[in-house]
Amino acid sequence: MKTLNINILPYSMFAIAIASVAMSNDAVAKLNVLATTTDLGAITREVGGDFLSVDVVAKGTQDPHFVEAKPSFMLKANKADLLIAVGLDLEIGWLPSILRGARNPKINPGSPGYLEIGPTAEPLDAAKGNLTRAEGDVHPLGNPHVTLDPIRVGNIAVTLARRLGELDSTNASTYLERARAFKKRLEEKTRAWQARIDKSGVKKIVTYHKTLTYFFSRFKIQNVAILEPKPGIPPTSGHIIQVIGIIKEQKVPLVLVENFFDPAVTRKILQEVPGVRSHTVPVSIEGEPEIKTFDDLYENLTATIEGSHK
Amino acid sequence: MRHSVLICALSAIVLSISASTFAQEGGTSTDTAAAAKRAGKGLNPDTGVNFLGLYRKSVQGNDSAAPNPNGFSFQEAELQFSADVDPYLRAVGLFSIGEVESSAPNGPHDHEFGLEPEEVYLESISLPSVTLKLGKFKAAFGRHNILHTHAFPFLDAPLINDSLLGEEGLNDLGASASFLVPAPWFVELTAQGMAANSETLYASTNPNHLAGVAQLKNLWDLSDDTTLELNLFGTTGKNRFDGDSNAYGTDLTLKWRPSVGGKYRSISWTTEYLNGYVGGDFGEETPAFGPRLGGIASWVQFQFAQRWWLQARAEILGLPQAEDLDSTKRQSVLLGFFPSEFSGFRLQYNRLTQPELPTDHAVALQWNISIGAHPAHLY
Repeated sequence: MKTLNINILPYSMFAIAIASVAMSNDAVAKLNVLATTTDLGAITREVGGDFLSVDVVAKGTQDPHFVEAKPSFMLKANKADLLIAVGLDLEIGWLPSILRGARNPKINPGSPGYLEIGPTAEPLDAAKGNLTRAEGDVHPLGNPHVTLDPIRVGNIAVTLARRLGELDSTNASTYLERARAFKKRLEEKTRAWQARIDKSGVKKIVTYHKTLTYFFSRFKIQNVAILEPKPGIPPTSGHIIQVIGIIKEQKVPLVLVENFFDPAVTRKILQEVPGVRSHTVPVSIEGEPEIKTFDDLYENLTATIEGSHK
Repeated sequence: MRHSVLICALSAIVLSISASTFAQEGGTSTDTAAAAKRAGKGLNPDTGVNFLGLYRKSVQGNDSAAPNPNGFSFQEAELQFSADVDPYLRAVGLFSIGEVESSAPNGPHDHEFGLEPEEVYLESISLPSVTLKLGKFKAAFGRHNILHTHAFPFLDAPLINDSLLGEEGLNDLGASASFLVPAPWFVELTAQGMAANSETLYASTNPNHLAGVAQLKNLWDLSDDTTLELNLFGTTGKNRFDGDSNAYGTDLTLKWRPSVGGKYRSISWTTEYLNGYVGGDFGEETPAFGPRLGGIASWVQFQFAQRWWLQARAEILGLPQAEDLDSTKRQSVLLGFFPSEFSGFRLQYNRLTQPELPTDHAVALQWNISIGAHPAHLY
């Protein structure tokens, strides 16, 4: 009997300790947010600050169309209170597998814990009429690279803040204030970036994929040719010859290759067209180690266009 | 009868638990983005068609009565449908169209085709940390057994899978519960109860015979670029000889895809070992193998360009070796070209060494085509 009493004491203390830790954790519990891309992760951190715990699936160096549904992401999704995705079929090849593996009804499509921001961001290039895959890897609902427009990103931050406020009403006003401050900052900087791009005189650019559509639309640049003959199809020599023709004819000064693509294809262009510049650019946060915020991302693109990039 | 009662009971559990979960979350606002997507897609199920054709040339295939005769053949077509049924359930139907044994007097010279439900099941979508499944499905029995023909890493299944589990694999009517275990790495525990009808290992016609399947799946992220997966799995149940059959296995996969440049190169190396036993009084009949059969397959898949893969596989059937009989061995090399996510052309060479038969050399070209809904890929 004496032995039993001695044994109960440490167990009771342990149970009390566990209970108190659990209660204290509840008191300061942060919302867990899982973002599909580093850009969405960055918006979430801007809006949520220290009130949120943020994880990201795709790395900034990866093509977001092709990410593997690693089970470790399912584990993160299982613990998420909110999943934020671009939608517009960007993640169609991998997010459904992560969601099914996560077994977390809180973040099922249609639930408050699931937010697709692409459709709310006035997508461009939405299909009109019937589509066929003979046109390549097309996105019928619109171009999904919406986070390359600073104005749209500001609006997305406000949309996200509202959703976070629904999930965490205590901090709702803080989320909205932070989102509005972020939006204002981007709007002000957009005017400065626009002035610099206008001053550079660059009006036409060739890219590898239609990734920079929103950036070009915002800053009044024409994407006159794409190195991929069709979305998702690698460049062919015949198509590159056509693109070289367009570059010469329209006096295009710049070719940009998104940094998850192989830039080797631009060698022929540089040989054939003297004076044309070619750069590999990050198009996502963390696409390069020094690109940590949206300010860094758009600043780098602007500097590359005006030719002041180191 | 007993297993139909079990299925009904599990079905009731799925519905009642998921209904209670939904009730707790009732009145949630509908996401505008999801609504926009639904509006775009309509409420029709995601529908896809996948078909596989082959051109084959081998020494053994010169005999037109051989199981894999030379020339063009229609390997399989798969019709796939999937959709959320309601807030609680998702349904999947996968039907396979393939050549069946001919009933015509000329036997194998006449081509006859049949439609078979390969997988038709419903699964829970509103339960936390668990997925319940009910219907006909591929058992969680190792890495290869769950794959459909179009997703096989090679044109054919490993010899041990074909010999131990039959052409269709371990695939039958049943119920399944799959738990995501809270652990620092990915741990999934799956328990399944199925009709013991699957050919070769069980082939029971007694409706009271059930087979149990269990699998423990582990996956570790060794780095941002590399993962290691280890599965342990087993099955046991009554067979057509009224005896017990059982099988177990393990597989190990190392995958590497760099975060920088991963669009153009990756490597995956899988090794899978299976071992099975058929017991009971065979009488006049002969079991498909036995009483014990083991085998190993190990394959490497190397992506060396955006659309190109080079692969190699080595297999031993009869590990441990059967009495008085050499093991069967096969080596394969495959070159794959995938013009897009939706089409692939693969050229495979097999060298097959069987006991008491001359070594066979076979070459086959496969075209693997998908149309319809964009598939969500498994890892």
